[in-house]
Amino acid sequence: MPEEEKKKTLSYVEKLKQQALSQQNYGGEVVDKAAQMEIRDCPNCGAGRAYQDGLTNCAYCGFSFMDIKLTDGIHIKKDNNS
Amino acid sequence: MEELMWQTQERWFVFLEKLETRMGEMCTAAIPELKEIFKADQDPYKRAHSRMLAGLLGQIRRMQDQANEVKEDRILGLIYSLGVLTSNDFREACFNRHYAFEKRCHDYTSLLQKAAGQEDLEAFYQEQLASFALIKDRFTCKQCGGKITVSKMFFIATYVTCSYCQTQNTFLPSSGAQMVLHKARSLAEQRTAHLLKAYEERESKDPDLYQQYLRAMFDEWNKITPDMEEENEKFYLRLLKDKSINHL
Repeated sequence: MPEEEKKKTLSYVEKLKQQALSQQNYGGEVVDKAAQMEIRDCPNCGAGRAYQDGLTNCAYCGFSFMDIKLTDGIHIKKDNNS
Repeated sequence: MEELMWQTQERWFVFLEKLETRMGEMCTAAIPELKEIFKADQDPYKRAHSRMLAGLLGQIRRMQDQANEVKEDRILGLIYSLGVLTSNDFREACFNRHYAFEKRCHDYTSLLQKAAGQEDLEAFYQEQLASFALIKDRFTCKQCGGKITVSKMFFIATYVTCSYCQTQNTFLPSSGAQMVLHKARSLAEQRTAHLLKAYEERESKDPDLYQQYLRAMFDEWNKITPDMEEENEKFYLRLLKDKSINHL
């Protein structure tokens, strides 16, 4: 194989590699986050969202946390509606 | 006329050989690079590697297109213009050579696709299990400060009830744990790869062996992510049905 041709292929692969490495990932880099616990308490009265009273309304002052009606999912079920 | 056919055939052979040489050079140069980029890629989806692989596969496809264009133009063109006068030897030699070229393309394609090897998903999964076992007792309720134990490993955000004040806390799994859901099928496939191999190695494809593999794969998958069992079952039945259509 002529030396020049060899160089050409190498530089093509090399260029491709550079391009593959330098291109930004869609949505940015993936950040590695640790597990965490969060709550959303009632902005009106400060009470926590109580499980047995449902997740859509505040059990104490009636503030509405969300306007949608919950349906059955993996962890959230229909009866989690207030 | 003989002369014309002979010359065309000769040129066709030389052309395909040149393409093959170029493809060979490119792949030999690219394989170590692919391995390196796969290893160095920090992205959980290995997207830099995918981009490079896509570029290389695109090059192979480009060469196939070139070969097809020339075949269409020169070989088929000549056959059409000569009509019944085309010799069978010429036709057969040119088509066989093209078939050999296509096969070469196919071989290089799978070589490139397999170059980087597989990620060790089992190690990744065990690592996630261990890190979850470490943190599962360490959470407190954000409302009252009471201790919360996360009962099992979750892969998506979920509500956890504080046993003292009944407040719903939202537990957000770590990025690694969330990735388990994404990689669960691949991991199950890695665990049952020997069964798939047993199925594929048989000369005559045995549907029972495939079902055995698929059942084992889905069982493993469900063991990793039990919450998806119901959905996975539907998927299992569909895959099985698709395969049985092929067998008929």
